[in-house]
Amino acid sequence: MIKREEVIRMAELARLELSEEEIDLYWQDLNSFLVSGRKLQQVDVSGIEGTSHAMAVSSPLRSDRVGESLPQDAVLAAGPEVMDGYFKVPRIVEEQQ
Amino acid sequence: MRKLAHLLQTGEVSSTELVRRCLEQIKKTQPVINAFITVDEEGALAQAAQSDARRARGEALSPWDGIPLAIKDNISTQGLRTTCASRFLRNYTPLYDATVVERVKQAGLPILGKTNLDEFAMGSSTEYSSFGVTRNPHDVERVAGGSSGGSAAAVAAEQAPWSLGTDTGGSIRQPASFCGVVGLKPTYGRVSRYGVVALAPSLDQVGPMARTVEGAAVLFSLIAGTDSRDATSTGASPFQVPVWDPKVVQGLRVGVPEEFFSTGLQPEVEAAVRRSLQVLEEQGAVLQPISLATNQYAIDTYLTLVTAEASSCLARFDGVRYGERVAAEDSNTMFAKSRGAGFGPEVKRRIMLGTYVLSASHYEAYYEQAQRVRTLIKQDVARAFEEVDVIITPTTPSTAFRIGEKRSPLEMYLSDLYTATANLSGICALSLPCGYDSRGLPVGLQIMGNHFREELIFQVAHVVEESVERGAQREL
Amino acid sequence: MNYDVVIGLEIHVALLTDSKFLCGCSTAFGAPPNTQCCPVCLGLPGTLPVVNEKAVEYGVKAGLALNCEVHCFSRFDRKNYFYPDLPKAYQITQDTYPLCTNGFLEYYIDDELCKTAITRLHLEEEAGKLIHSSGSIVDSEYSLVDYNRAGIPLIEIVTAPDITSPRQARLFLEQLRLLMRCIGVSDTKMEEGSLRCDANISLKPEGSMVLGTKVEIKNLNSFRALERALEYEVSRQGMVLDRGGKIKQESRTWDERSGKTMPMRSKGDAPDYRYFPDPDLPPLRLDPAWVAQIKDTLPELPLERLHRLERDFGLSRYEATFLVNYPDFGQLFLELAAAGEDNTALVNLLMGDYARLAREHGHLAPQRIAELLTILQEGLITQNRSKAVLEELFRSPLSPREIVREKGWEVLRDSSQLGAVVQEVLAANGDLVARYRAGEEKLWGFFVGQVMRAAEGKADPKLVNELLREVLGKAD
Repeated sequence: MIKREEVIRMAELARLELSEEEIDLYWQDLNSFLVSGRKLQQVDVSGIEGTSHAMAVSSPLRSDRVGESLPQDAVLAAGPEVMDGYFKVPRIVEEQQ
Repeated sequence: MRKLAHLLQTGEVSSTELVRRCLEQIKKTQPVINAFITVDEEGALAQAAQSDARRARGEALSPWDGIPLAIKDNISTQGLRTTCASRFLRNYTPLYDATVVERVKQAGLPILGKTNLDEFAMGSSTEYSSFGVTRNPHDVERVAGGSSGGSAAAVAAEQAPWSLGTDTGGSIRQPASFCGVVGLKPTYGRVSRYGVVALAPSLDQVGPMARTVEGAAVLFSLIAGTDSRDATSTGASPFQVPVWDPKVVQGLRVGVPEEFFSTGLQPEVEAAVRRSLQVLEEQGAVLQPISLATNQYAIDTYLTLVTAEASSCLARFDGVRYGERVAAEDSNTMFAKSRGAGFGPEVKRRIMLGTYVLSASHYEAYYEQAQRVRTLIKQDVARAFEEVDVIITPTTPSTAFRIGEKRSPLEMYLSDLYTATANLSGICALSLPCGYDSRGLPVGLQIMGNHFREELIFQVAHVVEESVERGAQREL
Repeated sequence: MNYDVVIGLEIHVALLTDSKFLCGCSTAFGAPPNTQCCPVCLGLPGTLPVVNEKAVEYGVKAGLALNCEVHCFSRFDRKNYFYPDLPKAYQITQDTYPLCTNGFLEYYIDDELCKTAITRLHLEEEAGKLIHSSGSIVDSEYSLVDYNRAGIPLIEIVTAPDITSPRQARLFLEQLRLLMRCIGVSDTKMEEGSLRCDANISLKPEGSMVLGTKVEIKNLNSFRALERALEYEVSRQGMVLDRGGKIKQESRTWDERSGKTMPMRSKGDAPDYRYFPDPDLPPLRLDPAWVAQIKDTLPELPLERLHRLERDFGLSRYEATFLVNYPDFGQLFLELAAAGEDNTALVNLLMGDYARLAREHGHLAPQRIAELLTILQEGLITQNRSKAVLEELFRSPLSPREIVREKGWEVLRDSSQLGAVVQEVLAANGDLVARYRAGEEKLWGFFVGQVMRAAEGKADPKLVNELLREVLGKAD
């Protein structure tokens, strides 16, 4: 069983505002998920490398050529709030670590 | 599809007529089926007119120039709204075309519109769409499957001759199976993902859906091939539609994994699949019982990886550059409120799970463990393909279920029980109709092939298709 | 109490590629906001990264120059965190398998050669730029985001906690900047942010083996800021410890105005970045032959050059350091020295008035400098006059000889002509001649000066002395 506080912490990490009911719902889901996750933990994987990419290829490299950028108005077109050629965001409370 | 191409070539039918017929069918059936989120009537007709003009000048871009298609709404289309069935993106219009969209446009295919899906492709029934559920044309009380439910239903309801879907754990094959159409999940990396809104980039692939094996093969030939904008697209040669040859099944080693015919499998589904296996055997294929024991871990492994990757991929939806912003005093609250309001329950659930399995104190036990089990699954599949040429299974444990029937998330996740292994191992897999259950609902048969063996599984599918009695095998 | 200071640095160096790390947008500095952006660096849904080869090459080059092991297998990871300047809400970086590890940088502290270990060097992408409405994040109502910078390639270099004083930290960073400029991977302008440095600092009782709690210092925008901030921290932490207090593990920001470090706002608990391998980018596998090829392109590194200048050219540490710190001067020196110029005369010229003038007007063509040295050595002009010739060289297109001829600055060598001048000067100063003869020998200099002035600076000082000696008898 995980603690309810941990569910709240996950929601904070994921920047998801959840109602009390939602927190309870996902608390329950996380717990039932952990049950099935435990099944995986019993699999013997000693000496096995994890697979992070479906195919064992290597990263292709692009040559350093400048391509086209978008015009500023296109960049900003979908912005919920823009100002003087910039995207605008409300006050930043927490500084980047 | 060759028939349609021929009619276009001889001028017996025009692209405009084809598009009109599709639009009429959409108008008639959309209110019930709800396969589309956006129908681009004007755009499709304009593209059809251009196609007809090209044909008249003898400058058709391809034999398929003018045959319209529908595109799943998580594939970016420049100037045409792409919502991912999410409230968050309900007004989002991409500034660019996905590579697959570029390619179908280069072949001259008019785009009818954007089809419904589970929000951000998270689901197996298209019930988790903020644009309403898509209904199964074979029984409107039942789901079309998902997440490419709209793309499958549009083809099944004859709203479009073919469509594009995406498949992360079964999202093309399962709805294809439920709706009685053909759907291919290509080998990982064979089709560019550029422009496809990511669910889980290590598993996602775009694939074709059509009413016939040939239709799916043709559409696949238009979209397959390396793309310099997708670093995971492999250097595989482009795909060419093969000359159909029933002899390919002679001596073909067909693996039949016992794990896919066990408890929980609907008897009528099993019967239909076994009938097709028998047909193949009669035509000279060698059936070999095999074991894919690791399939029992596929769903849990899949779920862990998919939620982890999705939690990261969906983080960009923060309300700064596009999407729906909920105003707040400070940026962090703005992020949380916008995301809280913009995402539906299943998306939030997966983000929560994914955040949990990636968090520092659980990474090793969950995420890393799942990555390692994924290796075991890959090894298991590779071993199987040393013994057999293709593996045949049911696509899903049951035919289409009723809308609202699956209540718990875990129950829903089990829909991918037979399909997730192909994504985890990167191999190609196709679903085609192989019969009906007693309610008249289509049964899907899955043919899995090793990496880059699309041609082989299409050939085998073609043989099955020819021999199986089916009701809905017309082209339009 | 006395404390040992333990400092480790984390340095970000922006690489001088033409296009960004993962897309083709320009990296040029100073463009209008949001004009160097594309769907990829804006993190639009569906976009995918592709790695810039030049960025990898520069990373390898920097690693080699820092004596690192360059790994032919490295991997890209996602560092997940929300911030308005981070378009995808994750940064593509290298966590578990960095490009380079285990190197060192050598540099001088006064006369002592010291060595700082480099723990790792990895590639990553830059974030966008924030402009705060009030100029400071602390009291701003809102902030503006410019993504031109987002996606510029960076290398992050992490040192071992080997540095034992604020001054050493500055000297290390200066040497690192020199190295990066020398190999041409970065312009390392702290004021433009293409070189940034964060410092970790802790104190421990003198001689103790147990490390103290470390504090991270950010916003160090100049070499001076780095040294001052660390000095401030040494005294702040020392005072806390002297009082028996505990150091809080935290991030602090340097405030230039108050000359203090201030704690940064945070929620207290350590951030959880949920690193995991980026599924969009396969691992980086480098051909060892390519790495070897890059190694061959490395120029002579600053420390090697310093030692060569001392060893092969007999320069002092001071002179050699000057030539290494100003590589353009170093290059000029080596070129002229190779052409056979006298090392001492050459370095004196370059470090003297030439340095001041060259900074103002740019360098002279090497052959003009060589000619100046030649006519000086030939005795065509006096040492004193050479300064005027040098200044003229920066204004006039003429050669040194032409200038001297035009201005009539040749040394006066005719003893009869000069003898007359000597006679005139002595005749005009009869009383002083008498005083000199009476034993006031210090007047010798006065006579020399008067003759030189009368000869308008053209007189050969040696000849003047000789002639005076003839007339006045013994002297000096």
